[in-house]
Amino acid sequence: MELHILEHSLKVASIEKEGIQICTHGLIKLAFLASKTRCKFFSLTETPEDYTIIVDEEGFKELPQSEHISVADATWLALNVVSGGGNASNSQPIGVTKIAKSVIAPLADHNISVFMLSTYQTDFILVRERDLPMVMHTLSSEFTLLRVVNGETFAAHDLGVTNGFVNPHVFNHFGFSVPRPIIHPLSSPSNMFCVTSLDPDTLPSVATLLMDVMFYSGGPKESGASSEDSSHIRFFSFSLIEGYISLVMDEQTTQRFPNNVLFTSASGELWKMVRIGGQPLGFDECGIVAQISEPLATADIPAYYISTFKFDHALVPEENIQSVIGALRTKSTAQ
Amino acid sequence: IMSGSKPDILWSPHHPDHYVICDSELGLYRIGPVGSSETKAGTLPLSEETAATLLAINSDTPYMKCVAWYPKHEPECLLAVGQANGRVVLTSLGQSHNSTCKELVGKEFVPKHARQCNTLAWNPVDSNLLAAGLDKHRADFSVLIWDISSKFSSEASVASEKIRLSSVDLDSSSVVTKPLYELGQNDACLSLCWLLRDPKLLLAGMHRNLAIFDLRNTSQKTFVNTKAIQGVTVDPHFPDRVASFFEGQVAIWDLRKFEKPVLTLTEQPKPLTKVAWCPTRNGLLATLTRDSNIIRLYDMQHTPTPIGDETEPTIIERSVQPCESQIGSFAWHPSSQNRMVVVSAANRVMTDFTVFERISLAWSSTTSLMWACGRHLYDCVEDGAEGVESVIEKDIATKMRQRAQSRYGHDTVQVWRNHLLAGGNDPQLKSLWYDLFYILLSHMKQCAEDMELKLQGNKQSVVYSGIKNIVKTSSGTKESRRCWNGSDRQTDLPRYDSEERCLALRLCGWMSRGPDIGVEVFLRSLEQDREWERAAAVALFNLDIRRAIQILNKGATAEKGDLNLNVVAMALSGYTDEKSSLWREMCSSLRLQLKNPYLCVMFAFLTSEPGAYDGVLYESSVAVRDRVAFACMFLSDAQLPRYMDKLTNEMKEAGNLEGILLTGLSKDGVDLMESHVDRTGDVQTASFCMLKGSPGEVLKDPRVQCWIENYRNLLDAWRFWHKRAEFDIYRGKLDPSSKPLAQVFVSCNFCGKSISYSCSAMPHQGRGFSQYGVSGSPTKSKVTSCPGCRKPLPRCALCLMNMGTPVSNCPGTGKSDEKVDLTRENKLAQFNNWFTWCHNCRHGGHAGHMLSWFRDHTECPVSACTCKCMQLDTTGNLVPSDSS
Repeated sequence: MELHILEHSLKVASIEKEGIQICTHGLIKLAFLASKTRCKFFSLTETPEDYTIIVDEEGFKELPQSEHISVADATWLALNVVSGGGNASNSQPIGVTKIAKSVIAPLADHNISVFMLSTYQTDFILVRERDLPMVMHTLSSEFTLLRVVNGETFAAHDLGVTNGFVNPHVFNHFGFSVPRPIIHPLSSPSNMFCVTSLDPDTLPSVATLLMDVMFYSGGPKESGASSEDSSHIRFFSFSLIEGYISLVMDEQTTQRFPNNVLFTSASGELWKMVRIGGQPLGFDECGIVAQISEPLATADIPAYYISTFKFDHALVPEENIQSVIGALRTKSTAQ
Repeated sequence: IMSGSKPDILWSPHHPDHYVICDSELGLYRIGPVGSSETKAGTLPLSEETAATLLAINSDTPYMKCVAWYPKHEPECLLAVGQANGRVVLTSLGQSHNSTCKELVGKEFVPKHARQCNTLAWNPVDSNLLAAGLDKHRADFSVLIWDISSKFSSEASVASEKIRLSSVDLDSSSVVTKPLYELGQNDACLSLCWLLRDPKLLLAGMHRNLAIFDLRNTSQKTFVNTKAIQGVTVDPHFPDRVASFFEGQVAIWDLRKFEKPVLTLTEQPKPLTKVAWCPTRNGLLATLTRDSNIIRLYDMQHTPTPIGDETEPTIIERSVQPCESQIGSFAWHPSSQNRMVVVSAANRVMTDFTVFERISLAWSSTTSLMWACGRHLYDCVEDGAEGVESVIEKDIATKMRQRAQSRYGHDTVQVWRNHLLAGGNDPQLKSLWYDLFYILLSHMKQCAEDMELKLQGNKQSVVYSGIKNIVKTSSGTKESRRCWNGSDRQTDLPRYDSEERCLALRLCGWMSRGPDIGVEVFLRSLEQDREWERAAAVALFNLDIRRAIQILNKGATAEKGDLNLNVVAMALSGYTDEKSSLWREMCSSLRLQLKNPYLCVMFAFLTSEPGAYDGVLYESSVAVRDRVAFACMFLSDAQLPRYMDKLTNEMKEAGNLEGILLTGLSKDGVDLMESHVDRTGDVQTASFCMLKGSPGEVLKDPRVQCWIENYRNLLDAWRFWHKRAEFDIYRGKLDPSSKPLAQVFVSCNFCGKSISYSCSAMPHQGRGFSQYGVSGSPTKSKVTSCPGCRKPLPRCALCLMNMGTPVSNCPGTGKSDEKVDLTRENKLAQFNNWFTWCHNCRHGGHAGHMLSWFRDHTECPVSACTCKCMQLDTTGNLVPSDSS
């Protein structure tokens, strides 16, 4: 297995809902006019609390400075797992489940905080740039580490930071791994989600619709709907990363798109969300993703995982939601 | 909602006149000659000769991303269309409903997860296999190889795979969801092509690498990390050569050495959109960039085999502009040579275009000319067989070659004879060699007679400096009015005399040495050459009207003489200096009807006012020397230099060699010769002429050196090596600075001294022996030992005798009686005995032995030496084409 360390230097920011209008110019440029910027990595996720922006340094220049924008102080690097073509099994679980044991758990064990972004095409594991030597040291045994420089991949060498690090992996005195308890409260909204994409060539034709979805969701129509169903959540994610578009939206929103524009997979899956966190999670706590993904991996349930500025979100197949909630509740109550 | 779809073109693999344009829909066209009976209204002109007819349109498949034409004859016109959602649909154009592809048309191949289909490639051998390259989707595969003959997925398998097909799909049972092969997991595929060297190998441009998948073992792949992953395409003429691109740069790969590109082409400022090898021409790659109206061509025909990094291959790059508008796409015609159809980026404007092949052209050192264009090679040789007088003048190379063979330029005594050696039919050469003859004659006399003429300035070179310079300085010009010869009638014609003018007349050949002898010698030589009119004119200008009449009479009565000359003589005899006479009036008007320029200028002279001789001076048919001589006699000191300057400039401009008389062998002369060489290319005459000049001045001129070097190169190219050696000897005599110093010496292995020079310091060894009456030639016995240390010289590798040649003996040390019978053959050592050795293996021997050895062998005669000595000598196998 290969682990690619991508060359984007990323910033994670939060835009308050009431401050969104001062940012729309830059956001529209980043989302729809990619040829006008040198940005290669852009993601926007709307939650009931805020808009979370993940953007590279070139794209970050497009955003204004404002008291409505909070920026996480670290610079982040994106990691991407690429399984070699040699792997014959094609029934691999999707998303974080696949990498839960190989990447997420080891990083959690080494107290490295991760920020996840699943897209239609792949999963990005964001780590702080300053943690990179430790990340490489931690993962070098499992992965071929490759660094992407100027679009080409080169072997990345372990920086030899073994000295001074103690292995913080928690063992009990029998030598078994201690199960990770789930710390944060979980909730499961009622609406169902699609993870989808579209042909970049057709993006201009749905740009106004997407702008409406992104920036005008707080209108009276939407609030009326949410009052009907209190557990309905407003969640929408758009990303444009290296030319690939990924969209996460609820089923109702997909109805607004013309036929055949969205890539609906042949299996047409729908996903339900597990929302993690009662209080904003912050960026320093580690192990949150691992707490969720490890039980899913054990149960072989595919999942997407999207971290935002304040909370984390896991998407699991609708048919599995009850068993997932059950399994995770057990873990948190067992604590 | 298809927005911004880029058009593309595909030629039918089997119908040479059918092609498909795909943009938002598919359009099938037939191309044909314009104005043929088939063309009706509605045809689109593609070029001056061709037009296209739209045969069919297919708009059943929206969201087209790529199209590939089924490669086999049957079913014809079956197309695979890759869509934005990753589905591949088989469709057709312009086929009747009962055609063979009916069961295939409409068949769909659906990937597990929807994402764009970037590329499609039919297997060229197993045409049931269709490879599709898709964008990345998580852990899914990006290269799917579909079997178009596979059965549709049954309901059961659909259910088991949790496939939820849309209601439309379920209705039509023509959906295939199970690919034959799945490759490139967790990756994206941007471009694909099957390798020609093995149809089981698929080359794929993946996200950050080029990968070769082998269908026999799909768990293995060969790959190389690169950014150049778009548009992979195999050279149809060279199955190991592949092109791919990234943004504006094309990379050329050799599959045998796949680690890195064998070469990258110059980067274009805009991203490339298409790169295609020409199917009809070896090594020609066409590239197109975005927003461009040109197609850039790279000719790699002469690229050496790309194994090894030492040689940077040469590529010829050029651009063609098939149409005015920006090009959307292009496609090479599969069989028509260098032909392509181009479609504009907007409005589907099509152009039929043939790339004109570069013409490469080469002159041979003889007169033939060869050029290559496309697959044609043209050889152009000079017209006119030997002996047949061609109307067209022979090429200068032919002339120079013939002249070199007839030893043109080498007559150093009767210099004027060189024009005869040149063929004797070129008036300019005749004039030139006479000029040089008179110049050299005057020069010799001048030296011999101990500066009898007390001319100012550099006495050595004044004769070389030309009449223009000679008459510029006048020392005591005397004006005289002389009587007509044989008559006491006084003329009022002023005639001018000075030492300079006298010298000029001698250089013109009019006057022999000494003022007394006068013009008579010259007149007699003209009579001998039957130049009656010219002789008469010269006599007349010397105020000898009787002599002129006499000459004309002689000319009329001579064998094949012109009787009209008598009439002219009669007219001449009526000469009167009466200004208003009828004779004068008639002569000045009727003279223009005389065909011979000399007869014409005679009457011009007689009817002119004194000092106004334009009728004579500017009669261009009269030889320059005669006009100059005339001017020296009849123009005043004020008029003469002006006339000389004017005439000189005229000659220089025209490159007329007659002007050498005026310029001499001065810088002016080189200028004149330069324009002559520019006009004719005759470096041979230029070289020989300038070598006659006073050494130093003109020979140092770089132009002169250039002519000489070029002439030597020409002689070499003609394999006239003996002529070239002869020329070098001749040149060395006239220009000692041109003699190269000896650069190669044979040195003795023992004492290290040169065997040709060390002898001079030593008393000759042979002398002692001969004093004691030792039989045989003592010098002969000694040539095989070093004259310095008396140790033996190396042995010939073949005869094993010690080498040595008499030339290594210093001249003058031998016995005096030996010198007497030194014929040309003996003077120099026989070539057969010369030292010769290979510069590579350092083995050698007698030249004659070596030559005969290499007539039958390729390897060095020394056993265990495998050096192919003679093949290293590129000229070693040539024979001289001149005979010495």
